[in-house]
Amino acid sequence: MFILLFIGVLLIFISNLFTGSADITFFDAVHAFFGEKNYAGDILFKIRIPRALAAMLLGGALSLSGYLLQTFFHNPIAGPFVLGVSSGAKLVVALAMIFSAGIFGTLSSAMLIFSAFIGSLISLGFVLIVSRKVKQMSMLVVCGVMIGYICSAVTDFLVTFANDSDIVNLHDWSMGTFSGTGMDDVKAIFVFVFFGFVGAFFLSKPIGAYMLGESYAKNMGVNIKLLRALLIILSGLLSSAVTAFAGPVSFVGIAVPHIIRVLFKTSKPLVMIPACFLGGSIFCMLCDMIARTVFAPTELSISTVTAIFGAPVVIIIMLKRKRGEMNG
Amino acid sequence: MDNAFISADKLAVGYGKKIIADNIEFSVQRGKILTLIGPNGAGKSTVLKTLAGYLKKLGGRVVIDGESSDKYSEKEMAKKLSVVLTERIKPELMTCREVVETGRYPYTGSFGILSENDNEIVDKAIETVSMRDFSGMYFDSVSDGQRQRVMLARAICQEPDILILDEPTSYLDIHHKIHFLELLRKLATENKIAVIMSMHELDFAEKISDYILCIKDGKAVLSGTPAEIFTAENIMELYDISENLYKKYFV
Repeated sequence: MFILLFIGVLLIFISNLFTGSADITFFDAVHAFFGEKNYAGDILFKIRIPRALAAMLLGGALSLSGYLLQTFFHNPIAGPFVLGVSSGAKLVVALAMIFSAGIFGTLSSAMLIFSAFIGSLISLGFVLIVSRKVKQMSMLVVCGVMIGYICSAVTDFLVTFANDSDIVNLHDWSMGTFSGTGMDDVKAIFVFVFFGFVGAFFLSKPIGAYMLGESYAKNMGVNIKLLRALLIILSGLLSSAVTAFAGPVSFVGIAVPHIIRVLFKTSKPLVMIPACFLGGSIFCMLCDMIARTVFAPTELSISTVTAIFGAPVVIIIMLKRKRGEMNG
Repeated sequence: MDNAFISADKLAVGYGKKIIADNIEFSVQRGKILTLIGPNGAGKSTVLKTLAGYLKKLGGRVVIDGESSDKYSEKEMAKKLSVVLTERIKPELMTCREVVETGRYPYTGSFGILSENDNEIVDKAIETVSMRDFSGMYFDSVSDGQRQRVMLARAICQEPDILILDEPTSYLDIHHKIHFLELLRKLATENKIAVIMSMHELDFAEKISDYILCIKDGKAVLSGTPAEIFTAENIMELYDISENLYKKYFV
Protein backbone atom coordinates (compact mmCIF):
# COMPACT_ATOMS: atom_id res chain seq x y z
CA MET A 1 0.00 0.00 0.00
CA PHE A 2 2.72 2.42 0.99
CA ILE A 3 4.58 1.70 -2.21
CA LEU A 4 1.44 2.60 -4.17
CA LEU A 5 1.16 5.89 -2.29
CA PHE A 6 4.80 6.72 -3.00
CA ILE A 7 4.35 5.93 -6.66
CA GLY A 8 1.23 8.10 -6.65
CA VAL A 9 3.11 11.03 -5.14
CA LEU A 10 5.88 10.67 -7.70
CA LEU A 11 3.56 10.33 -10.71
CA ILE A 12 1.44 13.30 -9.79
CA PHE A 13 4.49 15.39 -8.98
CA ILE A 14 5.91 14.67 -12.43
CA SER A 15 2.64 15.25 -14.23
CA ASN A 16 2.33 18.56 -12.38
CA LEU A 17 5.62 19.60 -13.96
CA PHE A 18 4.40 18.92 -17.47
CA THR A 19 0.99 20.48 -17.32
CA GLY A 20 0.20 24.16 -17.56
CA SER A 21 -0.27 26.97 -19.97
CA ALA A 22 3.23 26.68 -21.38
CA ASP A 23 4.05 23.41 -23.12
CA ILE A 24 7.21 21.85 -21.84
CA THR A 25 8.43 18.70 -23.50
CA PHE A 26 10.33 15.96 -21.80
CA PHE A 27 13.46 16.92 -23.75
CA ASP A 28 13.26 20.56 -22.67
CA ALA A 29 13.08 19.35 -19.11
CA VAL A 30 16.02 17.00 -19.48
CA HIS A 31 18.08 19.79 -20.99
CA ALA A 32 17.08 22.12 -18.19
CA PHE A 33 18.07 19.58 -15.58
CA PHE A 34 21.53 19.35 -17.06
CA GLY A 35 22.08 23.03 -16.52
CA GLU A 36 21.15 24.41 -19.90
CA LYS A 37 19.64 27.87 -19.51
CA ASN A 38 16.38 27.86 -21.34
CA TYR A 39 12.83 29.03 -21.11
CA ALA A 40 11.58 25.64 -19.91
CA GLY A 41 14.14 25.59 -17.12
CA ASP A 42 12.94 28.93 -15.79
CA ILE A 43 9.35 27.82 -15.71
CA LEU A 44 10.24 24.51 -14.09
CA PHE A 45 12.59 25.74 -11.40
CA LYS A 46 10.97 29.06 -10.60
CA ILE A 47 7.32 28.19 -10.92
CA ARG A 48 6.28 24.61 -11.31
CA ILE A 49 8.69 22.72 -9.05
CA PRO A 50 8.29 25.06 -6.06
CA ARG A 51 4.56 25.06 -6.52
CA ALA A 52 4.31 21.30 -6.78
CA LEU A 53 6.58 20.88 -3.75
CA ALA A 54 4.48 23.35 -1.78
CA ALA A 55 1.30 21.48 -2.68
CA MET A 56 2.98 18.21 -1.70
CA LEU A 57 4.21 19.40 1.70
CA LEU A 58 1.20 21.52 2.59
CA GLY A 59 -1.29 18.90 1.46
CA GLY A 60 0.39 16.36 3.69
CA ALA A 61 0.50 18.83 6.56
CA LEU A 62 -3.18 19.64 6.23
CA SER A 63 -4.25 16.03 6.14
CA LEU A 64 -2.09 15.17 9.13
CA SER A 65 -3.40 18.18 11.03
CA GLY A 66 -6.92 16.92 10.36
CA TYR A 67 -6.01 13.46 11.60
CA LEU A 68 -4.58 14.86 14.85
CA LEU A 69 -7.69 16.97 15.46
CA GLN A 70 -9.92 13.97 14.79
CA THR A 71 -7.94 12.03 17.35
CA PHE A 72 -8.14 14.86 19.83
CA PHE A 73 -11.90 15.33 19.57
CA HIS A 74 -12.72 11.64 18.96
CA ASN A 75 -14.65 13.03 16.04
CA PRO A 76 -14.20 11.90 12.43
CA ILE A 77 -15.41 15.17 10.92
CA ALA A 78 -13.05 17.44 12.82
CA GLY A 79 -10.50 19.27 10.70
CA PRO A 80 -8.64 22.55 10.61
CA PHE A 81 -11.08 24.12 8.15
CA VAL A 82 -14.41 23.11 9.66
CA LEU A 83 -13.28 23.95 13.19
CA GLY A 84 -12.46 27.50 12.12
CA VAL A 85 -8.76 27.03 12.78
CA SER A 86 -7.73 27.96 9.25
CA SER A 87 -9.91 31.09 9.31
CA GLY A 88 -8.51 32.14 12.67
CA ALA A 89 -5.02 31.77 11.28
CA LYS A 90 -6.04 33.77 8.22
CA LEU A 91 -7.35 36.60 10.37
CA VAL A 92 -4.15 36.97 12.36
CA VAL A 93 -2.03 36.74 9.21
CA ALA A 94 -4.11 39.50 7.61
CA LEU A 95 -3.71 41.61 10.75
CA ALA A 96 0.02 41.00 10.81
CA MET A 97 0.36 41.87 7.12
CA ILE A 98 -1.54 45.11 7.45
CA PHE A 99 -0.03 46.39 10.68
CA SER A 100 3.52 45.33 10.01
CA ALA A 101 3.53 46.79 6.51
CA GLY A 102 4.15 50.26 7.87
CA ILE A 103 6.72 49.16 10.44
CA PHE A 104 8.83 46.27 9.15
CA GLY A 105 7.93 46.15 5.48
CA THR A 106 7.13 42.70 4.10
CA LEU A 107 6.91 39.80 6.49
CA SER A 108 9.31 36.88 6.28
CA SER A 109 8.02 33.36 5.71
CA ALA A 110 8.72 32.37 9.30
CA MET A 111 6.87 35.44 10.63
CA LEU A 112 3.89 34.56 8.46
CA ILE A 113 3.79 31.03 9.82
CA PHE A 114 4.21 32.31 13.34
CA SER A 115 1.26 34.68 13.09
CA ALA A 116 -0.84 31.96 11.49
CA PHE A 117 0.14 29.69 14.38
CA ILE A 118 -1.05 32.27 16.93
CA GLY A 119 -4.31 32.59 15.01
CA SER A 120 -4.79 28.81 14.93
CA LEU A 121 -4.24 28.51 18.65
CA ILE A 122 -6.68 31.31 19.42
CA SER A 123 -9.50 29.77 17.41
CA LEU A 124 -8.65 26.30 18.74
CA GLY A 125 -8.96 27.81 22.20
CA PHE A 126 -12.49 28.95 21.38
CA VAL A 127 -13.37 25.54 19.96
CA LEU A 128 -12.02 23.90 23.13
CA ILE A 129 -14.20 26.07 25.33
CA VAL A 130 -17.22 25.24 23.21
CA SER A 131 -16.37 21.53 23.21
CA ARG A 132 -16.58 21.46 26.98
CA LYS A 133 -20.19 22.62 26.78
CA VAL A 134 -21.41 20.57 23.83
CA LYS A 135 -20.76 16.88 23.56
CA GLN A 136 -22.44 16.27 20.23
CA MET A 137 -20.05 15.98 17.36
CA SER A 138 -22.22 17.81 14.84
CA MET A 139 -22.74 20.75 17.21
CA LEU A 140 -19.01 21.10 17.67
CA VAL A 141 -18.58 21.38 13.93
CA VAL A 142 -21.41 23.90 13.63
CA CYS A 143 -19.68 26.05 16.26
CA GLY A 144 -16.37 25.70 14.44
CA VAL A 145 -17.94 26.79 11.17
CA MET A 146 -19.49 29.82 12.91
CA ILE A 147 -16.13 30.79 14.42
CA GLY A 148 -14.71 30.43 10.93
CA TYR A 149 -17.33 32.78 9.49
CA ILE A 150 -16.75 35.39 12.17
CA CYS A 151 -13.02 35.34 11.49
CA SER A 152 -13.58 35.55 7.74
CA ALA A 153 -15.96 38.48 8.17
CA VAL A 154 -13.43 40.37 10.26
CA THR A 155 -10.72 39.57 7.72
CA ASP A 156 -12.90 40.90 4.87
CA PHE A 157 -13.57 44.02 6.89
CA LEU A 158 -9.85 44.59 7.39
CA VAL A 159 -9.11 43.97 3.75
CA THR A 160 -11.74 46.45 2.63
CA PHE A 161 -10.27 49.26 4.69
CA ALA A 162 -6.58 48.49 4.26
CA ASN A 163 -4.22 50.25 1.88
CA ASP A 164 -4.09 48.44 -1.40
CA SER A 165 -0.32 48.35 -1.30
CA ASP A 166 -0.24 46.54 2.05
CA ILE A 167 -2.42 43.75 0.85
CA VAL A 168 -1.30 43.20 -2.68
CA ASN A 169 -1.64 39.47 -2.51
CA LEU A 170 -4.01 39.26 0.39
CA HIS A 171 -7.14 38.97 -1.64
CA ASP A 172 -6.00 36.09 -3.81
CA TRP A 173 -4.43 34.48 -0.82
CA SER A 174 -7.54 34.67 1.31
CA MET A 175 -9.29 32.50 -1.28
CA GLY A 176 -6.57 29.88 -1.11
CA THR A 177 -3.96 29.19 -3.77
CA PHE A 178 -0.57 27.58 -4.15
CA SER A 179 0.51 30.00 -6.87
CA GLY A 180 3.40 32.37 -6.34
CA THR A 181 5.31 30.04 -4.04
CA GLY A 182 9.07 30.38 -4.47
CA MET A 183 11.91 28.06 -3.56
CA ASP A 184 12.67 30.04 -0.36
CA ASP A 185 9.08 29.60 0.81
CA VAL A 186 9.38 25.89 0.13
CA LYS A 187 12.44 25.74 2.39
CA ALA A 188 10.59 27.46 5.23
CA ILE A 189 7.56 25.22 4.73
CA PHE A 190 9.78 22.17 4.73
CA VAL A 191 11.30 23.02 8.11
CA PHE A 192 7.93 23.56 9.81
CA VAL A 193 6.20 20.61 8.21
CA PHE A 194 9.16 18.33 8.91
CA PHE A 195 9.06 19.12 12.63
CA GLY A 196 5.30 18.73 12.68
CA PHE A 197 5.48 15.36 10.98
CA VAL A 198 8.28 13.97 13.13
CA GLY A 199 6.53 15.22 16.26
CA ALA A 200 3.30 13.52 15.24
CA PHE A 201 5.12 10.31 14.39
CA PHE A 202 6.67 10.15 17.83
CA LEU A 203 3.19 10.51 19.33
CA SER A 204 1.84 7.47 17.52
CA LYS A 205 2.14 5.21 20.57
CA PRO A 206 0.15 7.40 23.00
CA ILE A 207 -2.33 8.24 20.21
CA GLY A 208 -2.99 4.52 19.84
CA ALA A 209 -3.81 4.25 23.54
CA TYR A 210 -5.83 7.47 23.45
CA MET A 211 -8.13 5.90 20.86
CA LEU A 212 -9.56 3.68 23.61
CA GLY A 213 -10.67 6.79 25.46
CA GLU A 214 -8.98 8.90 28.09
CA SER A 215 -9.68 6.63 31.04
CA TYR A 216 -8.04 3.58 29.52
CA ALA A 217 -5.17 5.66 28.19
CA LYS A 218 -4.54 7.05 31.64
CA ASN A 219 -4.58 3.56 33.12
CA MET A 220 -1.86 2.60 30.64
CA GLY A 221 0.34 5.36 31.97
CA VAL A 222 -0.27 8.00 29.25
CA ASN A 223 0.18 11.57 30.41
CA ILE A 224 -3.17 12.80 29.11
CA LYS A 225 -2.66 16.51 29.63
CA LEU A 226 0.69 16.49 27.88
CA LEU A 227 -0.65 14.43 24.99
CA ARG A 228 -3.65 16.72 24.51
CA ALA A 229 -1.45 19.81 24.56
CA LEU A 230 0.97 18.28 22.04
CA LEU A 231 -1.88 17.24 19.73
CA ILE A 232 -3.21 20.80 19.69
CA ILE A 233 0.19 22.40 19.20
CA LEU A 234 1.21 20.04 16.39
CA SER A 235 -2.06 20.28 14.50
CA GLY A 236 -1.98 24.06 14.91
CA LEU A 237 1.58 24.19 13.62
CA LEU A 238 0.84 22.03 10.60
CA SER A 239 -2.32 23.82 9.57
CA SER A 240 -0.82 27.26 10.13
CA ALA A 241 2.06 26.44 7.80
CA VAL A 242 -0.61 25.78 5.20
CA THR A 243 -2.66 28.87 5.95
CA ALA A 244 0.37 31.14 5.96
CA PHE A 245 1.32 30.19 2.40
CA ALA A 246 -1.76 28.95 0.65
CA GLY A 247 -4.61 30.50 2.64
CA PRO A 248 -7.39 28.36 4.06
CA VAL A 249 -7.75 25.15 2.08
CA SER A 250 -10.97 23.31 2.76
CA PHE A 251 -11.86 19.70 3.51
CA VAL A 252 -8.46 18.06 2.89
CA GLY A 253 -8.09 17.50 6.64
CA ILE A 254 -11.30 15.49 6.84
CA ALA A 255 -11.49 13.79 3.48
CA VAL A 256 -7.98 12.40 3.22
CA PRO A 257 -7.73 10.68 6.64
CA HIS A 258 -11.13 9.13 6.00
CA ILE A 259 -10.14 7.82 2.58
CA ILE A 260 -6.88 6.49 4.02
CA ARG A 261 -8.74 4.69 6.81
CA VAL A 262 -11.00 3.02 4.29
CA LEU A 263 -8.10 2.08 1.99
CA PHE A 264 -5.89 0.69 4.75
CA LYS A 265 -8.80 -0.73 6.79
CA THR A 266 -7.07 0.21 10.01
CA SER A 267 -6.67 3.17 12.31
CA LYS A 268 -3.25 2.29 13.69
CA PRO A 269 -1.46 5.62 14.15
CA LEU A 270 1.86 4.16 13.07
CA VAL A 271 0.28 3.48 9.67
CA MET A 272 -2.16 6.38 9.61
CA ILE A 273 0.33 9.19 10.23
CA PRO A 274 2.64 8.59 7.25
CA ALA A 275 -0.22 7.38 5.05
CA CYS A 276 -2.31 10.49 5.76
CA PHE A 277 0.66 12.64 4.90
CA LEU A 278 1.28 10.93 1.57
CA GLY A 279 -2.44 10.84 0.80
CA GLY A 280 -2.72 14.56 1.51
CA SER A 281 0.21 15.21 -0.81
CA ILE A 282 -1.41 13.31 -3.65
CA PHE A 283 -4.81 14.91 -3.05
CA CYS A 284 -3.48 18.46 -2.97
CA MET A 285 -1.16 18.11 -5.94
CA LEU A 286 -4.01 16.61 -7.93
CA CYS A 287 -6.42 19.36 -6.91
CA ASP A 288 -3.83 22.02 -7.65
CA MET A 289 -3.27 20.55 -11.08
CA ILE A 290 -6.98 20.67 -11.73
CA ALA A 291 -7.22 24.20 -10.34
CA ARG A 292 -4.65 25.57 -12.74
CA THR A 293 -5.39 23.56 -15.87
CA VAL A 294 -9.11 23.07 -16.26
CA PHE A 295 -9.98 26.66 -17.09
CA ALA A 296 -6.45 27.77 -18.01
CA PRO A 297 -5.29 30.49 -18.20
CA THR A 298 -7.85 31.38 -15.48
CA GLU A 299 -7.02 29.68 -12.18
CA LEU A 300 -9.56 28.32 -9.75
CA SER A 301 -8.92 28.75 -6.06
CA ILE A 302 -7.60 25.55 -4.54
CA SER A 303 -10.48 25.40 -2.06
CA THR A 304 -12.97 25.30 -4.90
CA VAL A 305 -11.44 22.09 -6.13
CA THR A 306 -10.77 20.48 -2.74
CA ALA A 307 -14.34 21.25 -1.67
CA ILE A 308 -15.80 19.56 -4.76
CA PHE A 309 -13.94 16.35 -3.91
CA GLY A 310 -13.80 16.71 -0.14
CA ALA A 311 -17.27 17.84 0.91
CA PRO A 312 -19.06 14.73 -0.42
CA VAL A 313 -16.74 12.60 1.71
CA VAL A 314 -17.88 14.50 4.79
CA ILE A 315 -21.52 13.91 3.87
CA ILE A 316 -20.82 10.22 3.42
CA ILE A 317 -19.19 10.01 6.86
CA MET A 318 -22.17 11.75 8.48
CA LEU A 319 -24.65 9.39 6.79
CA LYS A 320 -22.65 6.32 7.74
CA ARG A 321 -22.47 7.51 11.36
CA LYS A 322 -26.22 8.03 11.52
CA ARG A 323 -26.87 4.55 10.27
CA GLY A 324 -24.32 3.10 12.66
CA GLU A 325 -25.94 4.86 15.59
CA MET A 326 -29.37 3.53 14.68
CA ASN A 327 -28.11 -0.03 14.41
CA GLY A 328 -26.05 0.09 17.57
CA MET B 1 -5.79 -9.71 57.32
CA ASP B 2 -2.07 -10.27 56.83
CA ASN B 3 -0.01 -10.06 53.63
CA ALA B 4 -2.61 -7.80 52.10
CA PHE B 5 -1.47 -6.69 48.66
CA ILE B 6 -3.70 -3.64 48.54
CA SER B 7 -5.39 -2.07 51.50
CA ALA B 8 -7.23 1.13 52.31
CA ASP B 9 -7.24 2.87 55.64
CA LYS B 10 -9.83 5.57 56.45
CA LEU B 11 -9.97 6.34 52.73
CA ALA B 12 -12.10 9.34 51.72
CA VAL B 13 -13.10 9.77 48.09
CA GLY B 14 -15.03 12.30 46.03
CA TYR B 15 -14.96 14.86 43.24
CA GLY B 16 -12.96 18.05 43.69
CA LYS B 17 -13.28 18.78 47.36
CA LYS B 18 -16.70 17.25 47.81
CA ILE B 19 -16.47 14.01 49.74
CA ILE B 20 -18.77 11.31 48.38
CA ALA B 21 -17.71 8.45 50.62
CA ASP B 22 -15.32 8.20 53.54
CA ASN B 23 -14.00 5.81 56.14
CA ILE B 24 -13.53 3.16 53.50
CA GLU B 25 -11.39 0.31 54.84
CA PHE B 26 -10.49 -3.01 53.30
CA SER B 27 -7.56 -5.19 52.41
CA VAL B 28 -7.18 -7.77 49.68
CA GLN B 29 -4.49 -10.40 49.18
CA ARG B 30 -3.23 -11.63 45.83
CA GLY B 31 -5.61 -14.11 44.26
CA LYS B 32 -8.64 -12.90 46.24
CA ILE B 33 -11.75 -11.06 45.08
CA LEU B 34 -13.32 -8.16 46.94
CA THR B 35 -16.74 -7.02 45.78
CA LEU B 36 -18.34 -3.70 46.63
CA ILE B 37 -22.10 -3.82 46.88
CA GLY B 38 -24.66 -1.21 47.78
CA PRO B 39 -27.38 1.03 46.32
CA ASN B 40 -26.86 3.22 43.24
CA GLY B 41 -25.08 6.45 44.02
CA ALA B 42 -23.63 5.14 47.28
CA GLY B 43 -20.10 5.85 46.09
CA LYS B 44 -18.90 2.46 44.79
CA SER B 45 -17.69 3.81 41.46
CA THR B 46 -16.05 6.77 43.17
CA VAL B 47 -14.06 4.39 45.38
CA LEU B 48 -12.97 2.36 42.34
CA LYS B 49 -12.05 5.47 40.36
CA THR B 50 -9.94 6.71 43.24
CA LEU B 51 -8.14 3.38 43.59
CA ALA B 52 -7.46 3.38 39.84
CA GLY B 53 -5.97 6.86 40.08
CA TYR B 54 -8.61 8.81 38.12
CA LEU B 55 -9.58 10.83 41.17
CA LYS B 56 -7.34 12.20 43.89
CA LYS B 57 -8.06 10.67 47.25
CA LEU B 58 -9.41 13.18 49.72
CA GLY B 59 -8.08 11.54 52.84
CA GLY B 60 -6.73 8.35 54.37
CA ARG B 61 -4.24 5.94 52.92
CA VAL B 62 -4.01 3.32 50.21
CA VAL B 63 -1.13 0.90 50.53
CA ILE B 64 -0.09 -1.20 47.56
CA ASP B 65 2.57 -3.88 47.94
CA GLY B 66 3.80 -2.35 51.17
CA GLU B 67 4.16 1.17 49.76
CA SER B 68 1.82 4.13 49.91
CA SER B 69 0.05 4.51 46.54
CA ASP B 70 1.37 8.08 46.22
CA LYS B 71 4.90 6.72 45.83
CA TYR B 72 4.21 5.11 42.46
CA SER B 73 4.69 7.01 39.21
CA GLU B 74 2.04 6.74 36.47
CA LYS B 75 4.25 4.31 34.58
CA GLU B 76 4.90 2.09 37.58
CA MET B 77 1.21 2.14 38.41
CA ALA B 78 0.35 1.08 34.85
CA LYS B 79 2.35 -2.11 35.39
CA LYS B 80 0.69 -2.82 38.75
CA LEU B 81 -2.93 -1.99 38.25
CA SER B 82 -5.30 -2.34 35.35
CA VAL B 83 -8.99 -1.63 34.83
CA VAL B 84 -12.17 -2.71 33.10
CA LEU B 85 -14.54 0.25 33.09
CA THR B 86 -18.26 0.73 32.52
CA GLU B 87 -17.75 3.29 29.78
CA ARG B 88 -18.25 1.72 26.39
CA ILE B 89 -15.49 2.48 23.98
CA LYS B 90 -16.02 2.79 20.25
CA PRO B 91 -12.65 2.61 18.58
CA GLU B 92 -13.03 2.78 14.82
CA LEU B 93 -11.46 0.11 12.65
CA MET B 94 -9.60 -1.50 15.52
CA THR B 95 -9.64 -5.27 15.62
CA CYS B 96 -10.18 -7.09 18.90
CA ARG B 97 -6.54 -8.11 18.87
CA GLU B 98 -5.43 -4.50 18.44
CA VAL B 99 -7.52 -3.50 21.42
CA VAL B 100 -5.90 -6.27 23.49
CA GLU B 101 -2.47 -5.19 22.25
CA THR B 102 -2.88 -1.75 23.78
CA GLY B 103 -2.55 -3.48 27.15
CA ARG B 104 1.14 -3.95 26.41
CA TYR B 105 1.55 -0.17 26.29
CA PRO B 106 3.57 0.21 29.51
CA TYR B 107 6.06 -2.41 28.32
CA THR B 108 6.76 -1.42 24.71
CA GLY B 109 9.30 1.04 23.29
CA SER B 110 8.71 4.56 22.02
CA PHE B 111 6.77 3.46 18.94
CA GLY B 112 4.73 0.81 20.68
CA ILE B 113 5.94 -2.00 18.43
CA LEU B 114 5.32 -5.41 20.00
CA SER B 115 8.21 -7.77 20.60
CA GLU B 116 7.87 -11.51 20.16
CA ASN B 117 7.38 -11.82 23.89
CA ASP B 118 4.64 -9.16 23.80
CA ASN B 119 2.90 -11.03 21.00
CA GLU B 120 2.98 -14.25 22.98
CA ILE B 121 1.42 -12.55 25.98
CA VAL B 122 -1.29 -11.04 23.78
CA ASP B 123 -2.00 -14.43 22.18
CA LYS B 124 -2.19 -16.10 25.56
CA ALA B 125 -4.59 -13.46 26.90
CA ILE B 126 -6.84 -13.84 23.86
CA GLU B 127 -6.70 -17.61 24.29
CA THR B 128 -7.60 -17.34 27.98
CA VAL B 129 -10.78 -15.39 27.27
CA SER B 130 -11.57 -17.72 24.32
CA MET B 131 -11.61 -14.96 21.73
CA ARG B 132 -9.11 -16.51 19.34
CA ASP B 133 -11.63 -17.03 16.56
CA PHE B 134 -12.77 -13.42 16.78
CA SER B 135 -9.45 -11.66 17.32
CA GLY B 136 -9.31 -10.42 13.72
CA MET B 137 -12.81 -8.94 13.80
CA TYR B 138 -13.40 -5.25 14.39
CA PHE B 139 -14.11 -4.46 18.01
CA ASP B 140 -17.32 -2.59 17.19
CA SER B 141 -18.72 -5.57 15.28
CA VAL B 142 -18.64 -8.18 18.07
CA SER B 143 -21.27 -8.75 20.80
CA ASP B 144 -21.33 -7.14 24.24
CA GLY B 145 -20.19 -10.34 25.90
CA GLN B 146 -17.26 -10.66 23.52
CA ARG B 147 -16.30 -7.02 23.97
CA GLN B 148 -16.20 -7.43 27.71
CA ARG B 149 -13.94 -10.46 27.31
CA VAL B 150 -11.68 -8.44 25.02
CA MET B 151 -11.46 -5.70 27.63
CA LEU B 152 -10.57 -8.31 30.24
CA ALA B 153 -7.87 -9.70 27.96
CA ARG B 154 -6.56 -6.17 27.47
CA ALA B 155 -6.44 -5.71 31.20
CA ILE B 156 -4.50 -8.93 31.85
CA CYS B 157 -2.04 -8.11 29.06
CA GLN B 158 -0.96 -5.27 31.26
CA GLU B 159 0.25 -8.00 33.66
CA PRO B 160 -1.29 -6.29 36.66
CA ASP B 161 -1.12 -7.34 40.29
CA ILE B 162 -4.40 -5.58 40.90
CA LEU B 163 -7.45 -5.62 38.65
CA ILE B 164 -10.27 -3.14 39.13
CA LEU B 165 -13.62 -3.73 37.44
CA ASP B 166 -16.62 -1.41 37.61
CA GLU B 167 -19.82 -3.44 37.21
CA PRO B 168 -18.20 -5.76 34.68
CA THR B 169 -21.24 -7.99 34.24
CA SER B 170 -24.01 -5.41 33.96
CA TYR B 171 -24.52 -5.59 30.20
CA LEU B 172 -24.27 -9.36 29.97
CA ASP B 173 -26.91 -12.07 29.91
CA ILE B 174 -26.86 -14.88 32.47
CA HIS B 175 -24.74 -17.17 30.34
CA HIS B 176 -22.10 -14.50 29.79
CA LYS B 177 -22.25 -13.28 33.38
CA ILE B 178 -21.45 -16.74 34.69
CA HIS B 179 -18.69 -17.36 32.20
CA PHE B 180 -17.16 -13.97 32.78
CA LEU B 181 -17.08 -14.52 36.54
CA GLU B 182 -15.60 -18.01 36.15
CA LEU B 183 -12.91 -16.49 33.98
CA LEU B 184 -12.24 -13.80 36.53
CA ARG B 185 -11.89 -16.35 39.33
CA LYS B 186 -9.50 -18.41 37.23
CA LEU B 187 -7.37 -15.38 36.41
CA ALA B 188 -7.29 -14.20 40.01
CA THR B 189 -6.10 -17.60 41.21
CA GLU B 190 -3.69 -18.48 38.42
CA ASN B 191 -2.08 -15.05 37.97
CA LYS B 192 -2.25 -14.18 41.67
CA ILE B 193 -4.18 -10.97 40.99
CA ALA B 194 -5.99 -9.04 43.69
CA VAL B 195 -9.42 -8.21 42.23
CA ILE B 196 -11.62 -5.36 43.39
CA MET B 197 -14.94 -4.86 41.65
CA SER B 198 -18.43 -3.51 42.06
CA MET B 199 -21.54 -5.50 41.28
CA HIS B 200 -25.32 -5.28 41.48
CA GLU B 201 -26.05 -8.98 41.11
CA LEU B 202 -26.09 -10.09 44.74
CA ASP B 203 -26.56 -13.78 43.99
CA PHE B 204 -23.44 -13.80 41.84
CA ALA B 205 -21.48 -11.58 44.20
CA GLU B 206 -22.12 -14.06 46.99
CA LYS B 207 -20.77 -16.98 44.95
CA ILE B 208 -17.71 -15.33 43.42
CA SER B 209 -16.33 -13.07 46.14
CA ASP B 210 -13.90 -13.76 48.97
CA TYR B 211 -14.82 -10.55 50.75
CA ILE B 212 -17.73 -8.15 50.54
CA LEU B 213 -17.73 -4.47 51.38
CA CYS B 214 -21.15 -2.81 51.71
CA ILE B 215 -21.31 0.89 50.94
CA LYS B 216 -24.38 2.95 51.73
CA ASP B 217 -24.78 6.74 51.72
CA GLY B 218 -21.05 7.31 51.50
CA LYS B 219 -20.15 5.02 54.37
CA ALA B 220 -18.65 1.57 54.49
CA VAL B 221 -21.40 0.05 56.60
CA LEU B 222 -20.38 -3.60 56.67
CA SER B 223 -17.58 -5.83 55.56
CA GLY B 224 -16.81 -9.49 55.81
CA THR B 225 -17.01 -12.81 54.02
CA PRO B 226 -20.07 -13.50 51.85
CA ALA B 227 -21.38 -15.90 54.50
CA GLU B 228 -21.30 -13.14 57.11
CA ILE B 229 -22.77 -10.45 54.90
CA PHE B 230 -25.54 -12.13 52.97
CA THR B 231 -28.14 -12.43 55.71
CA ALA B 232 -31.70 -11.27 55.34
CA GLU B 233 -31.28 -8.45 57.88
CA ASN B 234 -28.15 -7.06 56.26
CA ILE B 235 -29.60 -7.00 52.76
CA MET B 236 -32.91 -5.48 53.92
CA GLU B 237 -30.96 -2.83 55.78
CA LEU B 238 -28.45 -2.10 53.02
CA TYR B 239 -30.98 -1.71 50.23
CA ASP B 240 -33.92 -0.39 52.30
CA ILE B 241 -36.18 -3.34 51.53
CA SER B 242 -39.09 -4.24 53.78
CA GLU B 243 -39.40 -7.77 55.10
CA ASN B 244 -42.39 -8.50 52.88
CA LEU B 245 -40.62 -7.45 49.76
CA TYR B 246 -37.49 -9.33 50.77
CA LYS B 247 -39.51 -12.51 51.19
CA LYS B 248 -41.30 -11.95 47.92
CA TYR B 249 -38.15 -11.47 45.85
CA PHE B 250 -35.36 -13.28 47.64
CA VAL B 251 -36.80 -16.34 49.28
